[in-house]
Amino acid sequence: MSRLLARAGFRGTSSAAALALAAAVMLVPANLLPVLNTEYSGTNRSDTIFSGVVQLWRQGLWAIAAIVFTASILIPILKLAGLGWLLLSTRRGAFRNSRRLTRIYAILDFIGRWSMLDVFLAAFLTGLVQFGEFSTVVPQSGLIAFAAAVVLTVLSTQAFDPRVLWPTPAGSTS
Amino acid sequence: MMGTLDCLTCHLCGQEHRRIHLEPGEKALCTRCDAVLEKGGRLGPDTALVFSVTGLTLSVPALLLPFVSASTLGNERISFLFTGVESLWSGGMPSLSVLVFVCGWLLPFALLSAFAILRAPARLGWQKSDLHPLSRAARVLERWAIPEVQVLAVLVGLMKLGDVVDITIGPGFWCYCAMAFSLLIARHSFDLDSTAALHDAGERDAAARP
Repeated sequence: MSRLLARAGFRGTSSAAALALAAAVMLVPANLLPVLNTEYSGTNRSDTIFSGVVQLWRQGLWAIAAIVFTASILIPILKLAGLGWLLLSTRRGAFRNSRRLTRIYAILDFIGRWSMLDVFLAAFLTGLVQFGEFSTVVPQSGLIAFAAAVVLTVLSTQAFDPRVLWPTPAGSTS
Repeated sequence: MMGTLDCLTCHLCGQEHRRIHLEPGEKALCTRCDAVLEKGGRLGPDTALVFSVTGLTLSVPALLLPFVSASTLGNERISFLFTGVESLWSGGMPSLSVLVFVCGWLLPFALLSAFAILRAPARLGWQKSDLHPLSRAARVLERWAIPEVQVLAVLVGLMKLGDVVDITIGPGFWCYCAMAFSLLIARHSFDLDSTAALHDAGERDAAARP
């Protein structure tokens, strides 16, 4: 068992906690700084993640606004809150909820990847919308902070070993 | 090493189970945390190999053929899968550019290759060498291969641009979607956990449920 963990690289509750904390810190500039600068027929606007969602809503693209809101705002927050809960439960050593906590971990692990949506979207728009002086899209520094936050939360989930949620080491229960 | 074939370790809680035969449509669930351990393949044992080879074949045109073209007031711009990566790089964000390329193309390609390499020897009757390092690496890198997220991002982008510019979807995008789908199926029918299992056989049976 210990051999497997050692081989899997950095795993452990404290690494997971450190990475989650770093992700939480990065989420602040990610949400405050602009992520995209759009220039369209003379008008120039800088959008943060949230104002981008509001803009989509105003354009009447409600479904798209909901998707971007879920992927870029809701999932990162839910994921960090969930990780925080898991990490605190491990500290308290309460094994009553092992099954439920393991399920939460599985869900967090699955939804995390969808946060990358905004990064891919920015890459796609930046690549496609380059019409010289008429219309351009330029990524801004907030995007780097956002991508860092997403990468750190995924690393944190990867570092967290759900086996610590269970009372006995695997293999000795039979 | 025979033990690893009979043993199924839950990837979530670490509980060990003795492997039992599953009929198509049946699932083996972990006795402790209810996670799905293994599924009886509805599509046959070669599914992972077939879809990984299909995905690998599609990943090349996905990279080389036009992805999306946009035109506005007589200006036309054709973008490829790599165009966004290039613009981020030249726009002073090399880290993001690498992230997008690695998660969007390189790792899906690597994962499909890993599936093909892990499955092909058995199918073709070659001498099996020790492929455990490969399956373990695939297990670690798996969650970074996210072409399905890129597909959704492109669709969102197309909707966003729809009423501003004229958009034509190119063959590259369709190939990319098909590649993402192939990866999804290959990943679904390939059991990395049991391939990467390193433990000796446990005592408990996996509960088989239809």
